[in-house]
Amino acid sequence: MSDEPTETADATEEGGAVVERERTEREFPSWERVRESELFVIAITTVALAVFPWLFARAPVISGVLQGYQDLATLIVIWGIFAMGFNLLLGYTGLLSFGHAAFWGGAAYAAGVFSTHVSSSPLLIILAGTAFAALLAWALGFVALRRGGIYFAILTLAFGQMAYYMALSPLSGITGGENGYTGVELAPLLGSFFLQYPVPGLDWLVGTWTYVLVGVVAVVCVAAANRILHSPYGMVFRAIRENDQRAEFVGLNVWRYKLMAFVISGTLAGVAGSLFTIYSAYVPVQSLYWTTSGEVVIMAVLGGVGSLFGPILGAGIYLYVENVISGVQQLTLPFTGPGEYVTLVQEPVVLLEGFGAYWHLILGLVFVAVIVLFPRGIWGLFEDAAGAVRRLGSDH
Amino acid sequence: MALLETHGLTKSFGGLVAVDDVDLEIERGESVAVIGPNGAGKSTFINLVTRMLDATAGDIEFKGESIASDDPHEVVQKGVSRSFQTASIFPELSVEENAQIAALAAEHGSFRFNFLRHRDNYGGVERLASRTLDAVDLLDQRGVTAEDLPYGDKRRLELGIALASDPDLLLMDEPTAGMSPEETADTVDLVERVKAEMGLTILLVEHDMEVVFDVADRIVVLHRGAVIAEGSPEAVQGDPDVQEAYLGGVEA
Repeated sequence: MSDEPTETADATEEGGAVVERERTEREFPSWERVRESELFVIAITTVALAVFPWLFARAPVISGVLQGYQDLATLIVIWGIFAMGFNLLLGYTGLLSFGHAAFWGGAAYAAGVFSTHVSSSPLLIILAGTAFAALLAWALGFVALRRGGIYFAILTLAFGQMAYYMALSPLSGITGGENGYTGVELAPLLGSFFLQYPVPGLDWLVGTWTYVLVGVVAVVCVAAANRILHSPYGMVFRAIRENDQRAEFVGLNVWRYKLMAFVISGTLAGVAGSLFTIYSAYVPVQSLYWTTSGEVVIMAVLGGVGSLFGPILGAGIYLYVENVISGVQQLTLPFTGPGEYVTLVQEPVVLLEGFGAYWHLILGLVFVAVIVLFPRGIWGLFEDAAGAVRRLGSDH
Repeated sequence: MALLETHGLTKSFGGLVAVDDVDLEIERGESVAVIGPNGAGKSTFINLVTRMLDATAGDIEFKGESIASDDPHEVVQKGVSRSFQTASIFPELSVEENAQIAALAAEHGSFRFNFLRHRDNYGGVERLASRTLDAVDLLDQRGVTAEDLPYGDKRRLELGIALASDPDLLLMDEPTAGMSPEETADTVDLVERVKAEMGLTILLVEHDMEVVFDVADRIVVLHRGAVIAEGSPEAVQGDPDVQEAYLGGVEA
């Protein structure tokens, strides 16, 4: 923040030798240092998000095997933001919230109502939904954080369900009750780009303007989350996760930092919820239901709570199983993938008819396997594998 | 004016009076040891002073100001640090990060809205962290994950964490519990050294009488929550009440 005095100036005065050393390191930055730098994180995220819809929905062979499609790519990125924000609370601060549906769904409704009654500009809709979620998170966190551990989880769950029933009945005049909110109005982005239209010249890569909007917001969110984790807050959050009593007894106001973690996390959930309204031009009442809170927990744990990107990966895998694997009609040997894209010389043996209907079970098995075998999630598995390869490389 | 004063400090858990009407004054620069048999209320007393527990009755004054309704972090920010019976550190973080967290709290106070400002802008925190680790001889192990340290080093790290805020008063709850004789001797040396260097006032709860006699200028004996004797180590040693209550007839 701008009123902070810069302390680097006096740092250079005291330690000339330190500055000297840093300068030589800057000339030949090590791979570790590059990887840690913010610009690198932002650049990699931008490239990954730009290539993702093409790879998933349009690339030869890969997309054919995956059977991905543009809308699912957009949805994965939206849930990725949600899961990443949720994980700032679960993975970094060590607080399990079971009521994040309130922020996702609350923002979605706020965005929808705002689009009808105030402005249908997509950017303003996102701002409105996000602001609503931030205020709601502050209010709910203020109460729920009075208690720790399981009581905190139960309190957040209770608040989430209260929001659901509020939307379902007492507020149905505004929310549309069980029909969901149907009055979403969307103006063109920045007054000139229709969201559902393909991007001229780049539609082979990113597809629609909706995806561009979602992708740009996602990059901003990743940059913000990464910055927060590299600010004093990142360290304080982890200190609270490790030992909140000690954190209090080094003189940190643990309660206020927890509240900030809760609000930041709820705000990112709100960004995602607002994008969801823009994406689907509709808000289902299920977006406030407790299963939404449960899904984001599963996504975060599946992908890995120890990293910024793990939960985004988890969101992708969860939604992929839910939307694509669930459509696989037959489980065959050898596996032919969804939609039988891979044609084999031999006729495959059908093991199970109606395989896709078991998608919840499949997801459950994947979840159990990941928790038991790789407690750090799938992202953690990748990190371990990368570490092993690097060690192999340095041995030779 | 004494640095720390308690007036009629009392804590009861249901029917059990753990700390009973304790009046204690600690002058700046003193080292005071609180001793007493198990269950005498020694740890409860420290927990009351650091505001981990709410007192049932009585008042606590630090530098002449009541801290009886402060939160623990406010007490720390006013200059009272503590260590715990078990080495209370941040186990999965590195030794350096442990010190940085303590340094952060010391430099920035209990809370700031700086979540969008990169840590690299805070050179002061890193310098204080290095200085702290140097003071407890852990600078060479700064990259080690804290939980992988040997037990004695964990206790030293905890002491470092408590000292990072440059406190006026340091409360230690059995600082040598679970240590080997060598580690105990090292810890006593370390405490003596930082006390001299930083001008600390120390309040110590300890079972090991050698440590108590090495470190303390004055001893307070608690028995069933109440102060039964107070004075120089020699005076307390010879006190018949203390021998009766504390040693319980066992030759020591």
